Amino acid sequence: MIEELDWGLLVIGYLFLAGVGAGAILVSAFLTLGAGEFGASRFAIARYGAFIAPLPVIVGTAMLVLELGRPFRALNLFKLINLSPMSVGSWFVGVFITVSLLYALTFIPRAAGFGDRLNRARRGLAWVCLPFGFAMAVYTAILIGAMPARPFWNSPAIVLLFVLSALSGGVASVMLALAVFHKPGGNPAVAEDRDKSAHALGSADAMLLLGELAIILLFLLFAQLSIGSVREAASVIHAGGALAAPFWGFVVLLGILIPAGMEMGVIAPKLLSGKLFNSYRAVEILAPVAILIGGFALRYVVVVAGQITGPISI
Amino acid sequence: MNKDRKTEIARRRFLKGLVLGAGGSAVAAVPALPRTPSGRLGKVRYGMLIDLRKCVGCQSCSVACKSEFDVPLGVSRSWVEYVEKGVYPHVGRTFLPRLCNHCSDPPCVSVCPTGATYKREQDGIVVVDDGVCIGCKYCILACPYDARFLNPVTRFADKCDFCIHRVSKGLVPSCVNTCPAGARIFGDLNDPGSQISKTMARNRVSVLRPEMGTQPNVYYIGADHTEPGNVKRHEAGEVRVVTHRRDPERR
Repeated sequence: MIEELDWGLLVIGYLFLAGVGAGAILVSAFLTLGAGEFGASRFAIARYGAFIAPLPVIVGTAMLVLELGRPFRALNLFKLINLSPMSVGSWFVGVFITVSLLYALTFIPRAAGFGDRLNRARRGLAWVCLPFGFAMAVYTAILIGAMPARPFWNSPAIVLLFVLSALSGGVASVMLALAVFHKPGGNPAVAEDRDKSAHALGSADAMLLLGELAIILLFLLFAQLSIGSVREAASVIHAGGALAAPFWGFVVLLGILIPAGMEMGVIAPKLLSGKLFNSYRAVEILAPVAILIGGFALRYVVVVAGQITGPISI
Repeated sequence: MNKDRKTEIARRRFLKGLVLGAGGSAVAAVPALPRTPSGRLGKVRYGMLIDLRKCVGCQSCSVACKSEFDVPLGVSRSWVEYVEKGVYPHVGRTFLPRLCNHCSDPPCVSVCPTGATYKREQDGIVVVDDGVCIGCKYCILACPYDARFLNPVTRFADKCDFCIHRVSKGLVPSCVNTCPAGARIFGDLNDPGSQISKTMARNRVSVLRPEMGTQPNVYYIGADHTEPGNVKRHEAGEVRVVTHRRDPERR
């Protein structure tokens, strides 16, 4: 089925990678600007986010260019700017890659307070990264939403879903980096600080996943309450629909319910009864991997569903 | 005196516009634009009217288009769908020739990121500029009529252009020229004296997917708007659409 479509795996991959990059830079920028309960590991986590962010966007953009009929023609995108979401988006991508690379550069010196000037540059760039991170996450959904001929996409719910999925993908990629590269060692103070950060990230991620679930339910509900093309289009992810298995199996179960359940299981004891937070390495690795697979599956299901459905009248 | 006369003419023109407008909305989709003193309605707006009472489904138009543009195998700018419905002995088969609608509000133009697709000011033909197109396929997905495709040879977006090379020399498009039944009329919808305008004024016409708000400029007389999805209503009986395209589903 996928090879028959106009927008195939390369476009789906781009939408997913752009989301992860946008999410990672948002997490990093929020941390740099002082949000959340993070201790001494704040800088280290912001650093992971800053280093991760440009990579998926650059790889994804390269995939998009290769997907074009004539790759070198991609430069035509920058000869003008019009109101097409793809035109606006290509400028966002250009700015995002530039700013995120500069932002990552400011994190190369390992020490947090490496000179006042660098710190100021880092914070300044973080302020630029915030709007462009959101813009990247939002524009990918507006791009596909701008077509009334594709009823599955033509919905504001898809925008919210993509933004939340981008954020949870960003958090997941940072969590994964933290779990893999940031080992506590023997120092109990460092280990406690790291656990505090893991708890903050896990709570944020669980919230984002539950938000995604709520929007999916609203999307399905309103499609059902609608008539004609929209209801018909949404039926491809209902039980028995062409995309029911990847949607319920990979997006909802593997990508949302399982990781949300794992994270809730870890954060609940501290959240509900004030017990000491215990991190589990298995959860810290498996939950983000599941979220990232789910994030890709979400783009896959949405992009394919939009293309195999359309107006039902003639 | 002179001023009074001008006001009188303006008033008459306004009333005429109102009457035309009311008539237009009653017959649906008959253009009701204010007339200019010369009788012409401003710029040229090319359109096509396909009389399905005359169409015999011979595919001559599809073939003429293929040879006119050397359209590669597997894709088409112009095609004819067959709609078969009913249960024997109460059956019917109708034809639905399809092509780019050269919409007055074309969704393909508004999504094009490079301005490669645009609607020509002088005659309303929606064209693709090969020199600017990047082949992103955004317009292909945005078209509610599936009238566009990625040309497998050039790798650019491609579609019907109302045979711009013929029309600019005063000829009619190739499909119109070849139609043995005389089912296709091509002309200026803004000229009330053109054959297309006169035929439209005398007949009940319809466009495809009007709910998409695209304001198509390809009109049909006697089109059967039956969809395969209509079989859910049992009075429609069996419905089968043969697209004659690589994609067996009507899009």
